[in-house]
Amino acid sequence: MSIVTIAPSHAKLKAPPKQLVSRDCGPDGCEIDWLASARHEVELDVVSFTQFAMDQGWGDGLPLVPPTDARVRGMLAVNNRFPDEVIAYLPPMRAECTVEKIVINAVMAGAPPESLPLLIAAVEAFGEPDFELYGMNATTASVSPAVFVNGPIRNKLNIPYKHGCFGGAASPAAAIGRALRLIMRNVAGQVVGVTSQSTFGSPARVSGMVVAEWEERSPWAPLAERRAGVKGDAVTTFGGMGTMNILDTTSQTATEFLEMIGRSAAYVGTNGFSPAVPFCEVFVAINPICAEIVGKEMKNIDDVQEVLWKNASLPADWFTPKHLEQLEDQQRIRADGRVYLTPEPKDVVVMVCGGTGGLHAAVVHSFGTSITQTVAIV
Amino acid sequence: MAKGFVLDPTTAKSDDITSPGPDAGPLAGKVVGVRVDQMWRAWDWISEVWAEEFKKAGAADVKFWRSCGRSGEEGERMAEGLKAFLKEIDIAVVGLANCGSCTGWTVHDALQAAAAGKPTVAIATANFEEFAHTIAKRGGRSGLRVHVLPYPLNEKFREEVDPVANAHFPRLLATMGAEIGKGKQAAA
Repeated sequence: MSIVTIAPSHAKLKAPPKQLVSRDCGPDGCEIDWLASARHEVELDVVSFTQFAMDQGWGDGLPLVPPTDARVRGMLAVNNRFPDEVIAYLPPMRAECTVEKIVINAVMAGAPPESLPLLIAAVEAFGEPDFELYGMNATTASVSPAVFVNGPIRNKLNIPYKHGCFGGAASPAAAIGRALRLIMRNVAGQVVGVTSQSTFGSPARVSGMVVAEWEERSPWAPLAERRAGVKGDAVTTFGGMGTMNILDTTSQTATEFLEMIGRSAAYVGTNGFSPAVPFCEVFVAINPICAEIVGKEMKNIDDVQEVLWKNASLPADWFTPKHLEQLEDQQRIRADGRVYLTPEPKDVVVMVCGGTGGLHAAVVHSFGTSITQTVAIV
Repeated sequence: MAKGFVLDPTTAKSDDITSPGPDAGPLAGKVVGVRVDQMWRAWDWISEVWAEEFKKAGAADVKFWRSCGRSGEEGERMAEGLKAFLKEIDIAVVGLANCGSCTGWTVHDALQAAAAGKPTVAIATANFEEFAHTIAKRGGRSGLRVHVLPYPLNEKFREEVDPVANAHFPRLLATMGAEIGKGKQAAA
């Protein structure tokens, strides 16, 4: 084989329209029982219900909110959504993920009702074949889908994009991320040690990773607009392996900062350098202070990606002999004698976020063969 | 404490094929298709040994198909390549389930072969045997045949792996329901 470039497939998976319930009256307008899920009689206090849910295999170990009819109907009504709409087929179960199942899991996770459109967009993105959720949910790797948010919904839902945006900021983001993780467990059927073989897992497999872009401090267009031409509310989903912190107290210029980030991202054990993985993307979060410096020199994001890409590479002789032999067999060593983390500069996904203390960048390495998806939130 | 009803957050697939599918039967004159990947050199080595054994057992030919990236344009090429490959073969030997995602895709491709009506066996290492069965069941065919190789495997040198391949070949034939000459291989 040779360098495999990342290009989206031509077929998009769209769930076929399927109507299970009457549209005679709207989600907030009648008493018709249009919820299709089985009902279980339980003690409704949180402690008892959490124990029941754990016994059923529904839980993640944290307290769960009982998904009563009233709570589920309430979330549907707030968003004026019917429950039977099929959003995606999520592997490995490949069962229908309906709006109803999204809402039930969102209620259990404690996600706010107003987050339903974001959750639906994220599930739609997860279900795209190019996202490769099949491998991602089964793998021995620690990958978990990250969700990057653009548009006014960032502020409406208080999705963090400033200090501690990847974790620690008090925000509904953790509950929203947790809802997506419960959907992965209860709808997709991803269960640790059963259908998920993840050797170590990661904290993001409990709370997800839901982060927004600090668009107002970015010198460039918002991520979703750059990637897919989506202006306004959108999610961009990325198969992330966890955050890597990069400290730089020395650099002063755009090129210096980007070289430091790029070189740091290039370590031999990341999936992108594995002979087993045909291609990878990489996500780079640039803090607003650094972004301002870089943006003054590089108005075009393509230039930023180019510098990061060039530096996120390693000389071939840096690899151990057996790895090198496989990489040579796959013709992945380029004319300049280097192996590149991603096939092309466009595969470096850049976003501005983080606190004004600066100094740090965050890199999220990709699982590989998962192509980042951007979906408008409607 | 108040009792009440909660809604079930899970989904379930009810359709399941419990049959292992057709036996491979007599190998004479048949084309055996081996699905390899780009992860496991040990599986390449075992496949090479087994290919020779299949020919000695009367197979007309052994063809290989290598699974690479499964998303984007690359994934489309793979899907088309697999379809074309399945048309060229009579029996499918699909491996290697030796990690999480590769077990997923091994079983996925084995299910495709079985759905095409080919006598099919998925190859898994012992650590991923249960997972392979679980994924097969969730994929709607719990009866999928799975032949189990020892684990760990890929960490071994070729001189250690070749004897494993030779020792397992008769058992593989039994799992497949394959026949050499007149007799069907007895299950090991």
